[in-house]
Amino acid sequence: MGFIQGSASFTRYWVEGAVPREIMESLPQRVGRYAFRPFADDSDQEKSMGWVNIMDLFDNVMGGLDYLKEPYLALSLRLDVRRVPASALKQFCREAEEKVKAAEEIAFLPRERRIEIRESVKRSLLHRSIPRANVYDMVWRLTDGMVFFGAVNAALCDDFAALFYQTFGLTLQAVYPYALAARILEREKRSLGALDALTPCLFTGGRQPSD
Amino acid sequence: MNVLEQAKKTEFLGREFLLWLWFRSETEGGVIDTPELGAVEFAIEGKVVLQSEGDEGVETVTCSGERPALREARYALTRQKQVVQAMIKLAAGDERWSFLLDSCWFNVKGYKGPKVVMDRNDDPDGLFFEKVLLLERCARALDALFEYFVLLRISPEWEAEERPAISAWIEAGA
Repeated sequence: MGFIQGSASFTRYWVEGAVPREIMESLPQRVGRYAFRPFADDSDQEKSMGWVNIMDLFDNVMGGLDYLKEPYLALSLRLDVRRVPASALKQFCREAEEKVKAAEEIAFLPRERRIEIRESVKRSLLHRSIPRANVYDMVWRLTDGMVFFGAVNAALCDDFAALFYQTFGLTLQAVYPYALAARILEREKRSLGALDALTPCLFTGGRQPSD
Repeated sequence: MNVLEQAKKTEFLGREFLLWLWFRSETEGGVIDTPELGAVEFAIEGKVVLQSEGDEGVETVTCSGERPALREARYALTRQKQVVQAMIKLAAGDERWSFLLDSCWFNVKGYKGPKVVMDRNDDPDGLFFEKVLLLERCARALDALFEYFVLLRISPEWEAEERPAISAWIEAGA
C-alpha cells in the first residue's frame, strides 16, 4: 500500500548532512543503476529489489526525471519475492529421488546425491513460481532532508536504508522519540542536558517501570 | 550507544507521550494551540495496546473498540501497564487524520488522511502533491504535539502539576 492510495504505514527518517550538488547532478545515473530489475530467466535469486516510478510500479526506466517532483524526490521501492513452498519442494524431491533410484536400479541415494537433486528441483520450481511484487513508497523532501518510507517492518526498513545509501551515498537517521526531542531542543537553542537527565516516570504505586 | 540501544533506553518518552495524549484528550478536551498550525485537536480512540514487563516476561493487553474497551485499558494502567501503541485521531483546520502510533520508533500504521477527489489519470502529479502535503501536515501536527509534550516534560510544571494530575486520572480508572 502507498501514500498515493488507500491507507499507509510509514517510518520517518532524516538524511544526515547536506545533499552535495554532485548527487543531484548525477541522479539519473544513480537511480538508473539501482532501478528495479525483474528476475533473469536463468536466475536463482529469490528476491529482487530496486527503484520504480512511484505512480507506476511497472516503470523502472523513469525517463525525464519523473521522480523529481520539487521539492520532493519520490520513488517506490519494488521488492519481488519468489518462494518454493517447503511442502511442494519435499514432494517434488521425493518424486525425483524415486525416478533416479528406478532409472539407476539402486535402493539408496547417498547424501551428496540427494542434495544435488534437491538443488536442481528447487531451481526448477523457483523458475516456475510467480513472483509476488510489493511496492513501498519513498518521499524525500529535499529542502530539509525528511524522508517518509512506506513500511514499518524492521528488516525491510534496513534494506531500504541500505539501498538509499547505495543509491545516493547518504545515511538515513531514524526519527524516534529521543532523536525528535533532541532536534526540538536544538532548534529551541536549549541544552540536551535536561532531556538526557529524564528517567521513566512513576504514575502509580508499585515499582518503577523498566527502562 | 548505537541507535537501537538508545531507542530502547528512551522508549519511555514515546510511552509517556501516548499516555499524556490520552490523559489530555479525556480531561481537557484534547486541544493544543500550536504556533504553526493553530489549534490541533486530538483523541485516543479505537485501539490502545499496553504492556508491562515482569518476572514472567512481557504481558500485552490490546483493547479495541469504543468506550467500554478503553475503560479496560484505563484499568490496565492501574496495573502498571504502559501504552506502547495507540490509535490517534488528529484534526487541524478542516483536515482529519487517524493512525496507529508506536511508542518506540514513532512508526505509523493504518494512516488515513482526508479524501482527495482527483483523478489519478487526469492529473497524477496533482494527486501526488495533494496526498503528500496532507501527509506532511499530519506529521507536522503530530510533531507539534510532541514538541509541546517534550517542553512540558522537561519543565518544573511536569512534576508540580502534570504528573500528579495524570496519576490521579489513572487511579480514577481503577
